[in-house]
Formats: sequence, C-alpha cells, structure tokens
Amino acid sequence: MTSRGTLTIESLPVNTPPEHRPPGLATNDRQPGTARPKVALLSESPADEAALRVLVGYVLGPFEVVPPSLRARGWPSVEQVLPPILRHLHFHTDADGLVVVVDSDDSVVHDAAHEVPGYHHAGCRLCRLRAVFRRTLRHLPPARGRTRVLRAAGLAVPAIEAWLLCGRDPEVTEAAWLAGQDRGRLPYTRLELKVRAYGTDRPGLPLQTRRAVEEVSRHRGDIRRLENDFPHGFGALARDLQDWKKLDR
Amino acid sequence: MIAAVHFRNFKALRAASVRLGPFNLLIGPNGSGKTSLIEALLRLRTLASLPAAPAGGAERPGGPQIEFEFAPPYADIRVHLGCVSDLQCDLLKVDHPPGPAGEARWGELAGRIRSIRGYLLDHYAMAAPARRAGPAGLASNAGNLGAVLATRRTEAPAAYAELEAEFRRLMPEFSGVDCRDGAGGADALWFPLANGEAAIPAEQVSQGTLYLLAILTLAFDPAPPAVVCLEEADRGIHPRMLREVRDALYRLSHPAAAALARPAVQVLTTTHSPYFLDLFRDHPDEVVLAQKQGNAATFERLSDRPDLAEIIQDAPLGDLWYSGVLGGVPGAE
Repeated sequence: MTSRGTLTIESLPVNTPPEHRPPGLATNDRQPGTARPKVALLSESPADEAALRVLVGYVLGPFEVVPPSLRARGWPSVEQVLPPILRHLHFHTDADGLVVVVDSDDSVVHDAAHEVPGYHHAGCRLCRLRAVFRRTLRHLPPARGRTRVLRAAGLAVPAIEAWLLCGRDPEVTEAAWLAGQDRGRLPYTRLELKVRAYGTDRPGLPLQTRRAVEEVSRHRGDIRRLENDFPHGFGALARDLQDWKKLDR
Repeated sequence: MIAAVHFRNFKALRAASVRLGPFNLLIGPNGSGKTSLIEALLRLRTLASLPAAPAGGAERPGGPQIEFEFAPPYADIRVHLGCVSDLQCDLLKVDHPPGPAGEARWGELAGRIRSIRGYLLDHYAMAAPARRAGPAGLASNAGNLGAVLATRRTEAPAAYAELEAEFRRLMPEFSGVDCRDGAGGADALWFPLANGEAAIPAEQVSQGTLYLLAILTLAFDPAPPAVVCLEEADRGIHPRMLREVRDALYRLSHPAAAALARPAVQVLTTTHSPYFLDLFRDHPDEVVLAQKQGNAATFERLSDRPDLAEIIQDAPLGDLWYSGVLGGVPGAE
C-alpha cells in the first residue's frame, strides 16, 4: 500500500510543529484507539531519520513514532547497541517494530543468496543485523501484549545518500556499486554522493535534513523505483515493512 | 592561511612539524603539544605587531625556534620566531620577496596574522555582565559575550538575527537571546523562555548553553578573524549536539558549504571527545594526531596513515582512537 496522492505527516520535515502542519493532515501524534503501527527508528542522524520517516510512511501509511529518537554512531555501534535497544523496546514501550538502516560502506552487499533460510554471511551487515534481532528476541517472554518487536532492517549501499539520489542520478544503483566492487574500482565515493545529494560534502544539519526529505519525497509514495534500483538493501527494508502489514497484531 | 608550522625545542615539541588545512582537529594525550601549537600561533600574532628583525640580524642560538609557512597567496613568505625560553619569544624574522612589493605583501599578511584569535571559553566569565569596550571581538575567555552580542545587535542586526535564529533552532526551549542593561552600564545576557513564562539570566543557564552561544557568536561573526583557535570545542556539549558544533565551525572554515561569500577562516580546535572525532570519518585529512614519546611530541595527519581506509571500516573513528590503534593516546611511548 502506498500513500500516493495523499499528503501525510511523513512527507513533512521531522519536528514540524503542529501549528505548521497543513490543516486536515494526518499526523503521527499518538491517538489512543487508532490502529496505526507504533514504530521505533534507529538511525545515525536526524537527517537520516527524517528520510526514513518518509520512506516508512510510504509502505506502512500513517504511523506513530515511538520516542525517543534512537541513534547509533555508525557500524559496528549499531550492532552493539541493538540488543539493549530491542530489550528496551520490548519491555518498556508499546513499539510494534523497530526500523534500522545501516550504510554498507565497502562491506559485502546483501543479495538474493543471503535470503535463503539458514544462510548467514558474516561480512554482510544486513545478515548480521538480522542475526542480532534473532538472537536477542528469541528468548524474550511476551510483553506488552505482543510476542516480539518486529524487524525492519535495511542496508543503504553504500550510504543513504544513494537512496536520496534514486531516480535523479541513474548512475547510482546497487548494481553499479556491485559492478564497481567486482572491477575493483568503485563508481563513486561516500563524499561524492554527499556532494551530489547536498551540493557540498560538508552540509549543515538543516540543509542535510531538508534535502533528504525533498529527495525521498520525489517518489510521492511510490517505492517501486527504489525497490528496482536498490533491490537488496532497500528491498529488504520494504519487504520487512510489508510483512508487518500481513500480521494481525 | 597558515600552511605549516615547524618547531624546534619549543616545550614538548623538540623537533616537530605540522601541515595545517582550513580545518584542523587536534587530538592527543595531555601534554602532547596541542595547546603549544595554538600558543605558537598566538605568539606569532603578538610579534607580528612589532617590527621584524633585520635580515642577518640577531639570532637566538639554542633557544626555542618556530617557523611558519603560509598558504597562497603568501606561499613565498616565511616567518621565523626566536625565543629565549618556552615562555618568551622576542624575535621575529620575515623572509619575503624583495622590494616595496614584497614589503607590502608582508604588511598585508601581518594584518591578517594580527587578527588570529585563540579561545578557552569560561562559562563563569561569559555569564557575568560586560561593558562594551571599542570594536574588539570576543575576548579569549568570551568574558565580554554580552557586550559583543549587544554591539552586534545594534551594528549588525541581520547577522545578530541569523545567530539568534540558529540559537533558537539548537535550543528550542528559548525564544532568543536578550541583551539588557546590567549594573554599571554593563550588558547582561538573558534568555527568554519559548513558552513566554520568563527570561533566565545568563548565570542561571547551563554551561553548555553558554558554550554553544559563544561558538555561534564566532560562527556568525560578520567580520571574522583570519584564524580561530578554540580549545576543547566539545566542552559541556551533549554528544548528540556535537554535530552542530562541527557544523558551526565548518561555517567558518568552509563558508561556501554554507552558501556564504566571504573568505574562509582557518580553524584549529582541540578535543578529547571520541564522539566529536567520530564526525570526521569522511574528512580524516582534517584530523591531526599529537603523539607523545617520552618528553617529546610530534604531529601526524590522520590521512597520512597508509592503512586508514582499511581500519576505518571496522569501527567509529573515536573508538579507534580510544583503542590506541591510531596513536595519540597516553602512555604510548
């Protein structure tokens, strides 16, 4: 399901105060009795979180964000803080699920072979994140009326700026990155992606956040291009989120 | 502006050199020469106000020596400081192109050198009301913060408004910064709460709030100095806010990234925060490691490490520093 043609709060910058929201707009503000999923987000920066909010909204529709904003200091900090975050969310919040996206940098890129049940690639950050979810949640007793916190994990290849450029810069795709890894000559660097996305490799946070939201908002609720150009890293995130909707919580 | 500094027998810097870029984050154990580098720049500023020694004139044999190279358009000028002790440098020798044109270029560079500023922020001093005293910029401890902001509000209202808007963004509990008349005609800082309930005097706001305001005062200076040296840029600031501190300093060193059409300000800042260091993963060329071996200290650019690209994949930069694999840690000798 997408929200094509419908304005939702997910298309607004993070922290847009209620008085600045368009009238009649759906909001993420907690409303008892509604069936909106309650989502925690773990990201590296407010700008990344702003983009993720939009993208998650494209798949889930309106949702509530579980406070506080969760931050990690890049890989492998994400892997280290994930177990306590999951336990916290499970026992101390009513979060339905956790969204976490990490940059692949130069690590192994997740692919279809990694999706085979029982397969685990120790060099793939997405496989490792999934393993942390499994290990941490496996033995937790039910809490807060649910058996576990749902997982939505994605891998930005090589960094989230690549997702931001999707549809605007046709050279930036997972396939291009993988081909570059095979050749031993990467098609672009993280810094180059920053320049392409923000116009500078030293964007201030307001600029970075604004540009991140503008870029993902270009998709207007339709994630097919992102799924096509980033089938494993973004596709995995989208599939996880779509699976949430199949579950009757 | 300053391309490199070479030290001989200056404090712990027995034989050390460092290349400097537009932005320089100095990390290393206590006593490894970070502050000495900043002191050298401040001594250069002091001596640049005095007449240079004649060519072939007096030397300070055996005493501490500091030599400066400059970035274009002053790459053909070298300045040499001679010291009688670690505490007293009294000799300035300048090598510049001959003739009146060379003299004029040195005069121009000397003017920029004289605008070098060094800061060790002091929240007690910042909180106290301050009298306006001429066109001087922020004092080295920011003890005249109230006076500087009151002057700026009057003389550069657009710049003040920009600073205040940024302060509100970072500290949304406040609606702005107010400069009020204090005792004896001094300017006192007050912080009106965003909920309109009250205003809080500077001595009652947090240390971090004052540090942040001082850094913004530097970053939004409409007429900034050529070089800003800031000790412990992270002090008193929440780890999640350090990105904002870095961005404020980048506004000085990389004005084009902030869409500003003014010359870049060279920034040197020190930190002991791994979290602050994390923020320079994409720009290791901006990080200078100070290393201490026995009583001698040296400098190394992080980007000069041949294995950096490999090890930076596996951990945040701050964790790598703490672990010791980058060097720049206590007890490494």
